[in-house]
Amino acid sequence: MISSSKNHAHIILTLVFLCISLSLLAPVMGWILILVVCAVVMRSALYLDLHKHAPSVRTLNLLALLSAIVLAYFSLQLGVLLGMINLLVLACSLKLMQLRSIKDYYQLITCCGFLIGCGFIFQNSIGFSLFYLVLTLLLLLSLACHISPSLGINKNLKRIAVMGVQALPIAVLLFIVLPKIGPLWQMPTSKSHQTGLAEKVTPGDIAQLSQSADLAFRVTFSGNIPLPQERYWRAIVMEEFDGKTWRVSPERKAIQRQYKQYNKEFKPVLSGRYFSYQIITEPTHQNWLYSIDIGVPDSPQSANQIWQSHEYQLTSNTALVSNFQYSLRSFPDALLNQALYSVDHRINTQRPDSGNPETQRWVKNLRRQFPNDQEFINQVLAFFAEQPFEYTLQPPLMQSNPVDTFLFEQQQGFCSHYASAMAYILRLADIPARLVTGYQGGEMREQDYMSVYQYDAHAWIEAWHSDKGWQRYDPTAIVAPNRVTFGLKTAIEEAAELIDSPFSLDGFSSIAWLTDVRLFLQDIDFVWTKWILGFDKSAQKDLIKSLIGELTPKKLALFGLSVIGLIGLLLAFFFVPSLRGRKRDYISQYYQKSEKLLAKLHIYRPKSQGPLDFANSVERKLPNSLHQPFNQVTQIYMQHQYTKTTQQQASHNKALMKIQWLRLKKAVSRQLKH
Amino acid sequence: MFGWQAVAERWLNKRIPEAHKYKLNYRSIFIFPSRFGGLFLLLCLGLFILGSNYQNNLMIFLCYFLLSLFLLNLFIAYLNFAKLEVQLGKVKHGFAGEKLQIPIWIHNNKRVSNGLLKLNFWKLKHSVNIDLDDSTYPVYLPLDCEARGKLKLPRVTLTSTYPLGLISCWTHLAFVSDILIYPKPLASKVRLISKDDLAEVNEADSTAKGHDDFDSLAPYKQGEPLYHVAWKQVAKGQGMISKQFSNQSGATGWLMLASLRAADIEQKLSELCFQVIELTRNNSTFGLDLGNLKIEPSSGTEHQNACLKALALHSPYLKGVNA
Repeated sequence: MISSSKNHAHIILTLVFLCISLSLLAPVMGWILILVVCAVVMRSALYLDLHKHAPSVRTLNLLALLSAIVLAYFSLQLGVLLGMINLLVLACSLKLMQLRSIKDYYQLITCCGFLIGCGFIFQNSIGFSLFYLVLTLLLLLSLACHISPSLGINKNLKRIAVMGVQALPIAVLLFIVLPKIGPLWQMPTSKSHQTGLAEKVTPGDIAQLSQSADLAFRVTFSGNIPLPQERYWRAIVMEEFDGKTWRVSPERKAIQRQYKQYNKEFKPVLSGRYFSYQIITEPTHQNWLYSIDIGVPDSPQSANQIWQSHEYQLTSNTALVSNFQYSLRSFPDALLNQALYSVDHRINTQRPDSGNPETQRWVKNLRRQFPNDQEFINQVLAFFAEQPFEYTLQPPLMQSNPVDTFLFEQQQGFCSHYASAMAYILRLADIPARLVTGYQGGEMREQDYMSVYQYDAHAWIEAWHSDKGWQRYDPTAIVAPNRVTFGLKTAIEEAAELIDSPFSLDGFSSIAWLTDVRLFLQDIDFVWTKWILGFDKSAQKDLIKSLIGELTPKKLALFGLSVIGLIGLLLAFFFVPSLRGRKRDYISQYYQKSEKLLAKLHIYRPKSQGPLDFANSVERKLPNSLHQPFNQVTQIYMQHQYTKTTQQQASHNKALMKIQWLRLKKAVSRQLKH
Repeated sequence: MFGWQAVAERWLNKRIPEAHKYKLNYRSIFIFPSRFGGLFLLLCLGLFILGSNYQNNLMIFLCYFLLSLFLLNLFIAYLNFAKLEVQLGKVKHGFAGEKLQIPIWIHNNKRVSNGLLKLNFWKLKHSVNIDLDDSTYPVYLPLDCEARGKLKLPRVTLTSTYPLGLISCWTHLAFVSDILIYPKPLASKVRLISKDDLAEVNEADSTAKGHDDFDSLAPYKQGEPLYHVAWKQVAKGQGMISKQFSNQSGATGWLMLASLRAADIEQKLSELCFQVIELTRNNSTFGLDLGNLKIEPSSGTEHQNACLKALALHSPYLKGVNA
């Protein structure tokens, strides 16, 4: 039984737990947070002696039972990951209310440590990482206060700080050197945490995404950088349309599953000019990857992690639960005609027969006039150009016959409206067409890297051309040419206001230093993402290679040993001084040295004799030149040993001691020569 | 089970031999992760698995950071513990059946060692927790004394989990001790027997009479009660002089083990123990005859101690020597 009253260890632990729970605001359910706050208030009251008794075990058991039932009720909709985290937070809050024994305390510390780790699943910016680091140190401080309670919180804080600084280099070494292993098993991801593009598009959806200024991914190019109008980042190809919503074709999924089963990956043959680049994605908890036109993996590492499918779509083998780095090579001029035409054709001419009667009639007429596919497509594009279409983030709702309403009544829409309508029109005219979603644009930071944000999300179409295969058409570009060349912000004025605040500091901002700060923060974030979050197997290999050259087993073994040696050296550096005693006592050392000098003249101090008596006996035995310095040495030594001296005096004495010792040394050597 | 313990004990005797004073060093310190340390390592493993599965470098880094701390703790714990000096305080004797408070001195030079320290006797549950930053010495460890005789002091176990409770440092120290456990005093009638004719000369009650019948003055002998000191004479500068009372010369005789009626030898010894204490309290002169050991009649505390020691160490099968 331990008391919480005035117990620093407990109150620090309580505060740390509160901070962790609040930082997990999104994944943790509200009612559990309320329990957390209750537990914190309870513990604080006990700490401040406002209240004397913790709730009884029976009350808590009842509460635990009720909470467990409620959590079980929600668990299905939460999924495994969120369920687990909610359960952990719930259990911790109940434990905190009940904190009685040392065992409880240790368990709570461990759980809090684990929760901090879980926090990184949801937050991994620099700011949050520092925040969690501070929480970890506070957790350790709580432990220190628990083990040495009367040392005082300041001293404990200092100890923890020193320990943290000492542990950091070792941890960095381990991080760099210890082999990274791949996922041991597929972890549950939470549906509600999927971000970015969705597997289905109902026109209007992407508009939501476009109001987010979050980063989608970053790209570093080696060599040429694509022009703004070439920056079409393909992500998801949608080939199933039901009149309202586009989604990934189930048939396509089935085909892909089969290919995967036989491990027959689609390998397009490509030639011509290319862009070579490396992408670091933000975690989306989905599998879609981005590439310009047809991208193929550029490194064996990436090839292992990426699956190329027949609609020229790249998917990662595991869900992107953390920052994912891959390198690609894209061929913008290559033709997309290498997949099986019959399959493409069958899937991509499918359309709902009913609905949108006006569009159907209009297409029938137009098709009759322009039986040639290319001419027909040109006419459709011309229609978009001539009619007074408006490109807007906030189009009106179009519930029934959405394509009819959009094309002939409202004529206001966002990219998905245009793309959806055009693909539908082409399908009605029996031209295979499909919707592609991804990102269009990207902000280049000088020549270093390109950032693509969520508001760059875009939708366009691909239509089949009998010679060239799949061709990209972007009706949005016809309605709002600025969208493609200068990005969303220029295309729609209202966008700047709708997108989150950091974005509003952007571009137009007349305050130069604010822009500088923003860009500087971006650079830091890039380095953080690339070197810390994106430090994966291949990055590790490259780093070690750059340190020791070619990786041979012998060299690797030596490298491993030297790292262990380095850690050993670090430990020695930390601990050998304190092993040899706190402070070196120079004055005593000089006294001992002086005694050794006299020993050369065969004068020894018997153990029973004090230094003063010894000095007197020396005076009798030795000439003036010798005993005088020794007398001085003895006097300073006595003063040092038996009186309190200030820091200043001590250093003065040290200097004096050295002078006298040197005198003695000279005299002794002279004596020995004679 | 028993075999193992014997082996462990033998090994310990070789590793940490008995001593009067210990300066803890690598030979005497054992170090291992504590139970919480195990839990902590489990946490690291959990973080590593979760971090690997989510390919989350920050989680893996956190795991390595905690592991590095664990490694550092190993050294900090050792250095903190190794600076202690431990010594047994002075304790002469006790009586069987009572709780003996064993004093233990811990020299924490210049307070270089910190944190909580747990002391207990090896294999005994009861422990005393002290805070090295804030405590007074000696620390008293209670020990149940069950049987008379020379007390075999169990090894003293010191445990510290400084600095973070992850690493447990401990040691089992065996102190040289000459603590004697006297038999448990058992109230009984004091029966002094005259040696010459082996007849009872005095059946003194435990409440002796004539306690303050002043007789004469004599030089003070070590062990006499202070209230017998003739302070008036002392104040006059005549040296330590004590008053002699009349009844003390009267009750002279022997306490004989053989003459007691109790069935059990231990009970007899207990009764004798009581009688020795009573007689000394009354300043009587008496001798002790245990059959194989005889102590000539005398009085005073030293005599009492000699008698009690004889009682404590008495063994009917040993050939004794006359004291």
